[in-house]
Amino acid sequence: MDSFFYLVMFAGAVAGASTGLLGVYIVGMRMPFIGICISHSAMAGTIYSILLGVNPVLGPVVFSAISSMSLGVVRPGRSRLDANVALAIFFNLMLGLTFLGIGLMHGSRSEVLGLLWGSLLFVRKSSVLIITISGLVFVVFAVLFNKELKVLLFSRTIASATGVHESFVYCLFLALCGLVLAVNLPLVGGLMIFSLITCPAAAAYQICTGHRSVIFAATIFGMASAVVGFLVSYYLDLPTGACIVIVSAIVFAVSASYRALMRKRD
Amino acid sequence: MMGECLSLSDVEVRWSGRTILAVEEIQIRQGEFVGIIGTNGAGKTTLLKVCCGLIRPNRGTVKLDEHDLAKLSAWRKANLRKHIGYIPQAAEYNAELPFTLRELVAMGRTSVKALLRRLNKEDYEIIDSWIERLGLLERRSQTFRSLSGGEQQKALIARAMAQDPEILMLDEPCSNLDFNWKYQITEIIEQLHRETKVTVVMVSHETSLLPSGCERAVLLHEGNVLADGDIEEVLESEVLERAYQCRIEMLKLSGRRYTVNKS
Repeated sequence: MDSFFYLVMFAGAVAGASTGLLGVYIVGMRMPFIGICISHSAMAGTIYSILLGVNPVLGPVVFSAISSMSLGVVRPGRSRLDANVALAIFFNLMLGLTFLGIGLMHGSRSEVLGLLWGSLLFVRKSSVLIITISGLVFVVFAVLFNKELKVLLFSRTIASATGVHESFVYCLFLALCGLVLAVNLPLVGGLMIFSLITCPAAAAYQICTGHRSVIFAATIFGMASAVVGFLVSYYLDLPTGACIVIVSAIVFAVSASYRALMRKRD
Repeated sequence: MMGECLSLSDVEVRWSGRTILAVEEIQIRQGEFVGIIGTNGAGKTTLLKVCCGLIRPNRGTVKLDEHDLAKLSAWRKANLRKHIGYIPQAAEYNAELPFTLRELVAMGRTSVKALLRRLNKEDYEIIDSWIERLGLLERRSQTFRSLSGGEQQKALIARAMAQDPEILMLDEPCSNLDFNWKYQITEIIEQLHRETKVTVVMVSHETSLLPSGCERAVLLHEGNVLADGDIEEVLESEVLERAYQCRIEMLKLSGRRYTVNKS
């Protein structure tokens, strides 16, 4: 295995760890659809960046930031719109914009279609640096606002009613969520990012006791899914994205089975 | 710190063009225990959510600690609500997350602490003292989801009390509990009111769940206040019959008031 593959594995590990950590909050707030919604916003942003000939990082960051902040407008108890319905509407809009952008393109569309599954094997050092920085920014946020995020996870209504500055922390979370997803999208792809957000975190929630252990387990499960999935695809000559998705689903299945077994024993 | 506590005047909440709550005047003084009762869909939960600023009324004024909630910025409103201990119905929180009981009670201190400040030793002493006071010491390392319904309710009360609230708002705290737990939970709430002088606003379907320490009741019917005053006067058969549209007999046993349908 040459040094390039270590870079690919490192990129996968960072992407898996940061999306795994992000998933703790997305799955915990019962909004797994937010991942696919924001990643499709980022995808639309990338397409319009290519169309307009601007920096390809700028478009996805701007698009995902706008959609993240717009989703922050849906307040618990204030709006009749359920957060998941709002997400579905946004998802449809972004999908429409994505395909409109694809339709307006001339020449090869392979680069754009690659955004669905990502292109981990075409990773560059600069993009690894960007996803590492965005992951670290999210870690800093999660540490600084740990006590507020825990209340938001348990109940946004309680957080709002008891003066936890819920809207401020939630909007900040959504903005960073958009950032992490936007920079990871070219590497991981819109479809794979969804599984890396949901499966590792859902697996951690099955077997852990205490919030801290959930955070560690989800981060490690995300990292392991990406690295193991990549190794499986390398040695068996299979598509990388598909292998990572399947490994992350297996991690969840094993955790859920373990919990069911423990419940039976009790 | 709160002075006059809470007041609503000329409040109206509309939903799809229909008025679901219309309150001319409700004032809650510091240290009161107020029970909010009424039929299904009478507007009890809406009233509670208006009181803590979760629902902004279409018309009228809601004052918390003499501050008009509508005129405050989100930041100032949040600072004011640090004094509210709120216990919602089960659908409003995620009981499936693996938070330990101690982590859950610690959430009460989050409101009190400023952003970016971590909980310290003193906070954890307060958290542990409420866990002990509610008789949950042996359960403190267990996950919230592994507790029984009654224990979960106790944990939520401990969380709200760890916040050191001036006003405690409870939305049907005894729903889905067996009769013994219902009794225990209401006894705990009454004891906390008596010992800490916290103002209590409690929504309940059943009149028997309002403990003897509850001096005042607000009876809602179709979004309107049908009666507000001394609990003995509000829980009169004739008054309740107007709300429930059936013949009612009130029975009083051990300080609790039971409603019997005589139709």
